Amino acid sequence: MTLLHAQARLRDAATGELLGGAELAGRVSEAAKELADLPSGVLFLRVGLDLTSVLRYLGAFEAGRAVALLDPAQDREVLDGLVSRFRPAAVLGVDDEPAPGYTQDWVREDVDGVAPHPDLAVMLPTSGSTGNPKFVRLSRSAILANADAIAEVLGIDENEVAPTSLPLHYSYGMSVLNSHLRKGATVLLEGSGVVARPFWDAVTQYGVTSLAGVPYHYEMLRRLRFDPAKYPTLRTLTQAGGKLRTDLVSEFNDKMRAVGGQMFVMYGQTEAAPRMATVPADRLAEKIGSAGPALPGGAFAIRDEDGNEITEPGVAGEVVYRGPNVMMGYAESEAELALGDETGGVLVTGDLGYLDSDGFLYITGRLKRIGKVFGNRVNLDDLEQIVKGFGAAAAVPAGDKVVVFLDRAEKDTCKQAAKLLSETLHLHVTGFDVRPAEGFPQLPSGKIDYRSLEAQV
Amino acid sequence: MALNDRLRGVFVDALQLDDSVDVENLKYRDIDEWDSVGHMALVAAIEDEFDVQFETEQVIDMSSFKVAVDMLKGFGAGE
Repeated sequence: MTLLHAQARLRDAATGELLGGAELAGRVSEAAKELADLPSGVLFLRVGLDLTSVLRYLGAFEAGRAVALLDPAQDREVLDGLVSRFRPAAVLGVDDEPAPGYTQDWVREDVDGVAPHPDLAVMLPTSGSTGNPKFVRLSRSAILANADAIAEVLGIDENEVAPTSLPLHYSYGMSVLNSHLRKGATVLLEGSGVVARPFWDAVTQYGVTSLAGVPYHYEMLRRLRFDPAKYPTLRTLTQAGGKLRTDLVSEFNDKMRAVGGQMFVMYGQTEAAPRMATVPADRLAEKIGSAGPALPGGAFAIRDEDGNEITEPGVAGEVVYRGPNVMMGYAESEAELALGDETGGVLVTGDLGYLDSDGFLYITGRLKRIGKVFGNRVNLDDLEQIVKGFGAAAAVPAGDKVVVFLDRAEKDTCKQAAKLLSETLHLHVTGFDVRPAEGFPQLPSGKIDYRSLEAQV
Repeated sequence: MALNDRLRGVFVDALQLDDSVDVENLKYRDIDEWDSVGHMALVAAIEDEFDVQFETEQVIDMSSFKVAVDMLKGFGAGE
């Protein structure tokens, strides 16, 4: 079982180079061979939107070597922390001074290390937190099952050309790559993003057929007055990474349908490799606001506070997903690399929602204190901890951003706090709206009344 | 205030840049702050400050501080 279909192709937009067939397979096995002599352990790959990175990822996958995908822009301090916790066999895609215990080429000097479980294929960081992320452990079969299910619901075949509009260490970005390569489609490696000229030139030049975006991409596309008529090959939009405003769902769905195209709204979590649900494009108009039915092979259940299943449609509770794509578990240190499956294919999502009578899921909120910043999950309690040096803080979600109230803070302090959050979590500073507050509303228990704070934003 | 100074101020505010950044020679994606998210914040801030509205093509072509200056001159801003 392999990710790479015989027809699969990679196009490097920077050089125009197209790799496919035996040539691509050859380059992947070369990359795999380079990993063969490395010591035991997981591989760290700082994965950019370039050919070398993708060949290394595919090489590791085909060689059966567990690989953790990391943000290439990650701070050195965070990388060092991960290296000391996981003792990777090697760190690929990094050229600064090696960490202690590593050779000039970033290979671990100590040959003894924990052997990753044979099922473990890919580890992805859970977003953000305190710059001290843990990893989601994804098995080879989970990755392949999810790639196949996504391809099935989106109708991906060898005629598709998908650009890398999302980073590959981000689960949605990885899944676009996987699901296309698996079906013999072409993946266009392009790093400049949807707000830049080179991206749109490449869309036209290489006949891009689909575009994947998180909510902020759709805000950008609206601002850019995106007109699919200008891009006759581009007929599919997909959206995940958080709930998109329903007026934007309608707007983009209408735009695409007007030119004979389609839009897919999807739902997932990194813990599910990542896709769990997709609204069929032809039902989107009647199911605006829904995350869709479970993918083929998966199923949703809604649980009440006591853990009992709610079978009545329209009644909200915690969303539980069961499927072949659910993670093996988390890893916080090297020892956990050896662990097998701990979830039994069941993911308790922490999301609140309900199923309608057609089995379409609607997400209504979060059980845990979690927010999203430009599609990246952040722990709201962690945000408060990060800025505590500036004063007492209360963080609440606000769409694709978070609002952090700082008790009795000056405007300048708020600015500094936003900057610190941005630097610590490596997310753009405009995702953190830090505002001064005069104390916080409290619940009878004395805890912060986050609901009434949320109502203020 | 001269156009360049006004625009530099908008860049510093919208992207929350440090004093050390050489704003006038800045290009898109040179620094973490000017990524795609920053770009949209920047474009909106420039439109507010100079009371102009950019076309789609201009938004995606605004690849450097200098290009932004030229575009604003095209609007007759800062004269």
